Amino acid sequence: MTATASTPPAEAATHCPYCALQCAMTLTPTPQGPAPVRVEPRMFPTNRGGLCKKGWTSAELLATPDRLSTPLIREAGELRPAGWDEALTRIVAQLQAIRREDGADAVAVFGGGGLTNEKAYQLGKFARLALGTSRIDYNGRFCMASAAAAGNRAFGIDRGLPFPVEDLDDADTILLLGSNVAATMPPLLGHLAGARAAGGLIVVDPRRSQTVQLTADGAGVHLQPVPGSDLVVLLGLTHIVLAEGLADLEYLASRTTGSDAVRRSVAAWWPERVQAATGVPVAQLRAVARRLAGARGAYVLTGRGVEQHADGTDTVTAAINLALVLGLPGRRGSGYGTLTGQGNGQGGREHGQKCDQLPGYRKIADPGHRAAVAEVWGVDPAVLPGPGAPAVQLLGMLGAPGGVRALLVHGANVIVSGPDAARTRAGLEALDLLVVCDFVLSETAALADVVLPVTQWAEEEGTMTNLEGRVIRRRRALRAPDGVRSELEILADLAARLEAPSVWPTDPAVVFDELARASAGGIADYSGLSHALLDAQLEAGIAAHWPYPAGSGGTPRLFEERFWHADGRARMVAVRPRERGTDDGHDVASPESAAAGRPAAQLTLVTGRLLEHYQSGAQTRRVPELADAQPRVQAELHPATAARLGIADGDPVVLRNRRGAVTAVAQLAERIRMDTVFLPFHFPEDECANLLTAAVVDPISGMPEFKRTAVTVTAAAPPLVTATVAATVDAEAGEAGESPSAGLVSERGVAA
Amino acid sequence: MTAPLRVVLIGYGPVGARFIEELLPALETGLVDLVVLGAEAEDAYNRVLLAEYAVGATTRERLEVTDTAAARAAGARIRLAETALEIDRERRIVRTSRGDEVGYDRLVLATGARANVPTLVGLPDTRRSHGAAADSGPLPLPAGVIALRDLADAEAVAPVVAGGGRIVVLGAGVLGMEFALLAAEHGARVTVVHHGPAPMARNLDEAGGRMLSRAAREAGLGMAAHARAEAIDFRDTDAGRVFDGVACADGTYLRGDLLVLSCGVGPRVELALAAGLACARGVLVDEGLQSWSDPHVFAIGDCAQIADPSSVDRSGRVSGAPSGLIGPGWRQAAAVAAGLRAEVAGTAAGEDAAVSAHERPTVVMLKATGIDVVSGGDHLAEPWDADAEVSVWVDAARGAYLKTVIREGLLAGFVAVGLPHAGAELTLRFESRSPLPVEPSALLRLDAADADAAPVEDTLGPDATVCWCNGVTAGRITEAAASGACTVEEIGRCTRAGTGCGGCKGRIAALLVAAPVA
Repeated sequence: MTATASTPPAEAATHCPYCALQCAMTLTPTPQGPAPVRVEPRMFPTNRGGLCKKGWTSAELLATPDRLSTPLIREAGELRPAGWDEALTRIVAQLQAIRREDGADAVAVFGGGGLTNEKAYQLGKFARLALGTSRIDYNGRFCMASAAAAGNRAFGIDRGLPFPVEDLDDADTILLLGSNVAATMPPLLGHLAGARAAGGLIVVDPRRSQTVQLTADGAGVHLQPVPGSDLVVLLGLTHIVLAEGLADLEYLASRTTGSDAVRRSVAAWWPERVQAATGVPVAQLRAVARRLAGARGAYVLTGRGVEQHADGTDTVTAAINLALVLGLPGRRGSGYGTLTGQGNGQGGREHGQKCDQLPGYRKIADPGHRAAVAEVWGVDPAVLPGPGAPAVQLLGMLGAPGGVRALLVHGANVIVSGPDAARTRAGLEALDLLVVCDFVLSETAALADVVLPVTQWAEEEGTMTNLEGRVIRRRRALRAPDGVRSELEILADLAARLEAPSVWPTDPAVVFDELARASAGGIADYSGLSHALLDAQLEAGIAAHWPYPAGSGGTPRLFEERFWHADGRARMVAVRPRERGTDDGHDVASPESAAAGRPAAQLTLVTGRLLEHYQSGAQTRRVPELADAQPRVQAELHPATAARLGIADGDPVVLRNRRGAVTAVAQLAERIRMDTVFLPFHFPEDECANLLTAAVVDPISGMPEFKRTAVTVTAAAPPLVTATVAATVDAEAGEAGESPSAGLVSERGVAA
Repeated sequence: MTAPLRVVLIGYGPVGARFIEELLPALETGLVDLVVLGAEAEDAYNRVLLAEYAVGATTRERLEVTDTAAARAAGARIRLAETALEIDRERRIVRTSRGDEVGYDRLVLATGARANVPTLVGLPDTRRSHGAAADSGPLPLPAGVIALRDLADAEAVAPVVAGGGRIVVLGAGVLGMEFALLAAEHGARVTVVHHGPAPMARNLDEAGGRMLSRAAREAGLGMAAHARAEAIDFRDTDAGRVFDGVACADGTYLRGDLLVLSCGVGPRVELALAAGLACARGVLVDEGLQSWSDPHVFAIGDCAQIADPSSVDRSGRVSGAPSGLIGPGWRQAAAVAAGLRAEVAGTAAGEDAAVSAHERPTVVMLKATGIDVVSGGDHLAEPWDADAEVSVWVDAARGAYLKTVIREGLLAGFVAVGLPHAGAELTLRFESRSPLPVEPSALLRLDAADADAAPVEDTLGPDATVCWCNGVTAGRITEAAASGACTVEEIGRCTRAGTGCGGCKGRIAALLVAAPVA
């Protein structure tokens, strides 16, 4: 056993490793138990002592049999165990050679929204100072980028919920757009109970998701627009609020700019036109607009369903505009927010993992911001690279001429989570060097040249920033297995070998102190916080919502006095849907060729999460209870659509377009629109939903369009049986057509 | 630097305004010089909402669709209350009502349409007044008779509606019905006079139209079917002669305070005709919205008829007509602006600089509270027709009617009355030209009374999920209860149900009460 600096305490008050709700839990080591720690929920404002299935089973991953405990190096095509020195030596030699040959930007870094603040900060610093590359971005580009861009544009700041999550409790109306919280962060449901009791939970989703089912029996309303039309729904609601005289004109006059332009722009979206474009009946639109306007306290909340689009930023802007005409943001008991997804999706987007950003949500292109951070780092601002490329563009550069030759991946499984998985795979395979830090051999790690084993959540100290911008402590309950290192240690070692300037501490508390200094004066100011302060107030449940400048007590509610633009006002920006075709660039293979004679339907694919799994599934698919509950990818189809395609519940189906094909098990449910098919995105290889999605991005945020993919759906016919029947039918051509299946086969026979 | 391209736009309605917005980048860079001539004294406004404005359901401010100040700031010279009288294509100038001559390199006609005035005793004959004068000013209608085409018309309606007055609407097209229903909703006593058995004859089959008629009567409208108006009478008041009533061919006399003519519209083409530009119903343009006769002239919106020059038949006629709808007009405005932007930038015009001549007839939807009527395409096929797959459902008791016409696997037309969800889905399918993913009958369930109720699974059946946070079913809970867990807490310990948000504890308790004692 390696000696460690300190012995973990008997129990650790920490938070769940998964989503951004960051449910509080206490871990108690159980050396004799089935898992190395016992999980107990802890009272905390977000989860109030509750946990979902993922949280309860989170300790099982600590004991997963395929945990990595030694670096791996690819040799003759195979990964083999190696020592740390050998692995790091190889990495450094290749990085130096590539940089010498093609410049610093030939090396890129891909981070993750699950990394602690300390790791995210250090990774950004490492990219800029040790590698000298501008090319760093992270998987938050796949989830939070559009909401972040819209928030910055409207409010001058991007904090997912600009109020504590408990504020939702007292609302009688909540408009939830594109978020299935009942599956993705179930303990949040407790905060929707008030709105449900008041009959005011309004959910916009092309599926009657689990969350939508909570609107049944008078608890609320479900709007079921065609995928990709959320922006128009929002323009229509804003139109009605303005047209029916329901807007808060006094608020618009005193707290916003740009409302005239928005009023004029939504004038073109009268309800009937909105119905024609979205499928949402006029009466529902009017009822929802009136409900929102008449509410005692109302919130507008967005999620990935409306954000993961090529017009995601504009869609969120439209949601914010609706909230603003209703006078919600910055008024106690009402507001707008986005529900951040990943565990540290908030903190991870603040401290320098984004390609255009420095710590404290500073801009890398701003000379003043560069100087401030360079001073903390003890370097000349001139050595800091400029803005790099956002994630999807970055992945497109892999192995390309003038592109990226080496990629370091931290806290991400891009081959599963990125759009157009075949494109990503080709890029990863074309690299000279792929280094992946992970604690299991994820699908991306399996493609790596060097894999470095790192600590898991229960084995490390640090901080996370949850969906309400509250900085919380992740605390250690266990020693990491022998041979495993923290990413801070790895980055420090690599920085030393690369002769990087500045200091590279490995103690998370020390790294946090540096982060706090680097963020001082920035938008996301953490300078008044430290591990010690957070620990000292742990029992009191410190409400450390940033900005938390030195000497302050934090900022639970951001907009009570003013918005973050210089004039203190929120900026309303008129947006409108772009004219576009029915699919993403004629990307669908023709139904005839795809279906090989079987009945086919062109449907719109939407992707999303299941209760049992998290992100790429690299973690949750290794937890037996979760994997047993959801072992395979299921395609959710409407029974009427399935009936026309000859598909029964449980049948194998194929979803196909020009980018790829996915075989899934049909799950028939009336809850989905008849023109839509749903796939969860947690599964790898030929079950990977992202084999179908396109690398098309929002022009402002760089967010890919995950939620509007044209696919052709058919039954996956068992080939041998079909061949037999076809032969029979050919032989008895005169009698073909007796049964539907024979008829179909005979059509195919004719076509052939 | 070369001189800017001089563009003149005639007509400042919503389509003209969209054209200006799309052209702004070229104005800002000084590559285009734009003059706009607007006959009305008002900035462009949203004519689609004129009826709402007329009955007081919305305000003037909310009709605004464009930022005139921004356009002016970008350099557009917008001249209101100034009518184009003549186009001299040889010299490329437009003569205006203020005696000015405005030169152009590119001329864009967005002159729109005017209301048709039927031939009735007591109304002026306006059918054939040639020449540019016809394009100026409002229609010369007697007091108490309007055609609800502009703001002044709308302002004449307001006091009648507010005072609960009687309104006769002549014509039961979609606009007439919308206005009639809206006026009745806001307190007016309204009678609709129309030909034939049912309203909206252009957009609905007879059964659909009769369903609408029935709904309209229930909404308090008088529906005078098979009525042929012949004359209007006037009475003398302190304010002079005003409208008194409509006399019909069958001898009925419908008295009212206001007569609203809703007899369709005709494209304003007089200016173009006088300038020798090819016109049929509208100004004839190709898919790039360029005049058949003059490459320097474009037409967009209600005055523009897109047709292929090869489509002239032997007698020299061109079939078709402007769509009369705002959506296509806006697309045309954007296309011409894109073409001009490309021209001044010296780049090739992209796909966005044209629209399709074969743009599908757009879906028509009645704007009315509580009455859902939508139709599109060819809906006249009958169930027994051999060349189409026709499906019809009627549930008269609930005011529901649905008809779908499928040809070659695609939705060729439909009518939906009283079925808002089904109508909305059919609209989407029709406009995206994609096949119905389901049998048409499946759409009916979208509007079923229980469609928004709990999902198909039995909410207390064994497979129903009770605890969302932990994915625990009712069956699992009753099992645990049967094995000895008697309290909500004990159920939580052995199944985790109720240990998330806690919202299901009440249902767990209910299941425990119902469960057989272990």
